Amino acid sequence: MKTIIISIAIAVSILAACKSNRPAESKTTMTTSSIKEVKSSGPIEEIVTAYLELKNSLAEDNSANAAKAGTQLETAFENFDKTALAGAERKTFEDVEEDARENAEHIGENSGNIAHQREHFELLSKDIYDLVKAFGSGRVLYKFVCQSYNNGKGAFWISETNEIINPYLGESLPACGTKAEEI
Amino acid sequence: MSRLNKILLTTCAVIIAIQFIQPARNKNGQVLSTDISKTVTIPDSVLDILMNACYDCHSNNTNYPWYSNIQPMGWLMANHIKQAKEELNFSEFNSYSHRRQVSKLDGIANSIKDDIMPLSSYKLMHKNANLNKDEKKRIINWAQQSGDSLSTKNYNRF
Repeated sequence: MKTIIISIAIAVSILAACKSNRPAESKTTMTTSSIKEVKSSGPIEEIVTAYLELKNSLAEDNSANAAKAGTQLETAFENFDKTALAGAERKTFEDVEEDARENAEHIGENSGNIAHQREHFELLSKDIYDLVKAFGSGRVLYKFVCQSYNNGKGAFWISETNEIINPYLGESLPACGTKAEEI
Repeated sequence: MSRLNKILLTTCAVIIAIQFIQPARNKNGQVLSTDISKTVTIPDSVLDILMNACYDCHSNNTNYPWYSNIQPMGWLMANHIKQAKEELNFSEFNSYSHRRQVSKLDGIANSIKDDIMPLSSYKLMHKNANLNKDEKKRIINWAQQSGDSLSTKNYNRF
């Protein structure tokens, strides 16, 4: 009997060691009170709302809230009812979805590493821009470009306000950016 | 038999027993039509680095070290490789959507720049994966340029 128990214990500890390599599942429930409410309407409402919350958290240099918003964005994609879409529309959506979910997941898993979250946010902004262009957001959104970010390579973001609040440089340089488009 | 002896004996038995549970090998000799080389031009100087420092986990061909035959090392490795391939698989790069290919190339440049990759645990056992400044720069430039040229094929950056 004892031997069986010991061998099980060893097996379990080995399996546990394997498992612990996986990034922690971030299924934390959203504490909406800590994140500014950003209202939106339209078919991709939940997605845009989560993106804007993420953008605002990054602008505030708040990595933990950015991670929460990233997880929320992933859920928003999961909740989206794709059955209403057909043909080319569906393809467009799924193309964006695949990339955006991956980026959102990384942002959710990287609380404390805001530089890495911002790298994925840059890719995500492109995804959300294309999504809004294709499906409309039912509201006015602005596209801002900050040219000096990333050694002059530049990056853009989507905002619900006409004000420049840079999510890439945060509070160190919140005013970098020029309005490029009203969507 | 003393209690200690029993424990020792069982531990040995378990260690021996688990050696028979070998995970499937990540080895596929052919270059698939989904290989990155079918979409993106890779200069030899870059390919060498990718093969030495990345392909063990991020492709369908792992160059296994001797200790991969010892369990549980082999299991841990199989698990790492599985996760790594989900993130990025050079052997299946061409099957990714265009958007994802651009994202992945950006991600390669970023993870080298930020020293996230190669993992330090991997570098510990693979001296080749300790990239010097010049090698890092080569990978970053290649990934950025390839990403830019892929993306301008379909749309402008801004």
